[in-house]
Amino acid sequence: MGAEPIIRLDGVSRWYGSVVAVSDVSFDIRPGITGLLGPNGAGKSTLLRMMNGLAATSTGTITMFGEPVRDNPPLYRRIGVMAEHETVYDFMTGREFVLMMARLRQVARPAEAADRAIELVDLADAQHRRMGTYSRGMRQRMRLAATLVHEPEVLMLDEPLNGADPRQRVHFQQLLHRLAEGGTTIVLSSHILEEVEQLAGTVLLIVNGKLAASGGFRAIRAALDQRPYHVRVVSDAPRRLAAAVLGLESVEAVTVDPDGAIVILSRNVRDLQVELPRLAQSSRIGLRRVEPLDDSLESVFGYLVER
Amino acid sequence: MTSIYLLTLRQLSGRWRLLIIALVSALPPLVAVMALYSSSALSVDAFETAVLGTLLAGAAAPLVVLAIAAAALGNEVEDRTLANLTLTPVPRWRIVAAKLLASITVAGPFIAASAFLTAWVAFLGDATAALAVTVAAVVGVALYAAAFLWLGLVSSYAIGAGLLYIVLWEGFLSGFVSGVRLLSIRHYSIAVMHALDPRRFAAGPHVAPSAAVLISALVFAGFIMLTVRRLRRMDVP
Repeated sequence: MGAEPIIRLDGVSRWYGSVVAVSDVSFDIRPGITGLLGPNGAGKSTLLRMMNGLAATSTGTITMFGEPVRDNPPLYRRIGVMAEHETVYDFMTGREFVLMMARLRQVARPAEAADRAIELVDLADAQHRRMGTYSRGMRQRMRLAATLVHEPEVLMLDEPLNGADPRQRVHFQQLLHRLAEGGTTIVLSSHILEEVEQLAGTVLLIVNGKLAASGGFRAIRAALDQRPYHVRVVSDAPRRLAAAVLGLESVEAVTVDPDGAIVILSRNVRDLQVELPRLAQSSRIGLRRVEPLDDSLESVFGYLVER
Repeated sequence: MTSIYLLTLRQLSGRWRLLIIALVSALPPLVAVMALYSSSALSVDAFETAVLGTLLAGAAAPLVVLAIAAAALGNEVEDRTLANLTLTPVPRWRIVAAKLLASITVAGPFIAASAFLTAWVAFLGDATAALAVTVAAVVGVALYAAAFLWLGLVSSYAIGAGLLYIVLWEGFLSGFVSGVRLLSIRHYSIAVMHALDPRRFAAGPHVAPSAAVLISALVFAGFIMLTVRRLRRMDVP
């Protein structure tokens, strides 16, 4: 597998009372950008919190650079963590916050490090304003500056693009790619497929607290694209449309609902998106409504787990 | 440690919080003034028991310290900012020490001033008496701060639990259950007052001064250890 793992999880589980948040998860994290992908409530944040030592495991072990992460403060000289919550002190200016974090992480020249980190997130103009006056995106960026101020070897980011506008997203993505190219190991969590696609070379798919799949993003994306889709179509002539769509390559099966809508089963929804309107036009059938029935992230991830 | 200390000073120095603790701290000297000019003057024993022992050491000091120390770590947990401190190479005991020191720094001057003024007024400018009462009050502040710092970390209902403790344990049970007095910060303060100025509580405190000093040290260290242990083992939100 190439480089030595930076982080190793071995049989990690975590439960809260009778609720199992993470179940028997094992994987290695190597240099580069790794994305923890999964729907909300899948256990990504719990996993990330255990990986950075904020939460204990119920069973299993987690090591970073070969050392246990839990109750090991010296390790935080090498780690930067940005939690999902907006954990800032509103009464502080951005610069005060970053400077304090530099001092707490025992950076040799904290003022210079703070300047550098604030410059990196492009917030020099707003650094002397209280953080309570920042927009959500600005807070995220200033928190990122505080996370990067000691130039960590490992960066852990929980839903880092929440609240960022498109321009900030692009800036953020470029920054992470630069850091990864510079040798930083980055682990980030997200419930948005495209976000992970643009950032992570390796994806760990977490569903219901379990590792559902892992590997390169393309393999996971291909698996997603091959899943069957159900599309509900409301039209002027449902039975005529049902008969007609059966002739399309992209359609596997059609059923007619009692309410008159038809439900199309397709494994090639991209072609269906093009073919269906053309067919309706040529057959002089009016389409009133076309909607995917199972396009939620949960159903996408659920499909991968069941395979 | 300095960064966490300065951060905590800012966190604990909200205008409303300071106003409330100033009002509570003003009560003992006000009562002392009223007692001095009252037509039915209190005896020294009665004044010491009611004002120094109960109002100052058993009510004002713990209430002020509760408002400060319980928030020092408790608000970090509630606001989910504690991770900023624990995700650093700073040893846990240093975080606790900085929080404790800041709590004492904020609460101490209020209670020290309150104690000094109360004794100065009541004992007609007797410096020894005023100093003894002040030092004893500050000892109480340190002990209450250690206890309430821990309470703020372990309970999201620290203020309610602290009030119950002040009213039931320090105010009620320690008044007549001799065993409870051995574990009462109020009575340690009284013992220290007596040790520094034997004219205070001249009939003799319920806890011997030497025992009070020893147990105080154990209580202080014990709560610090409990807080550090909790900080090391808890899931930080």
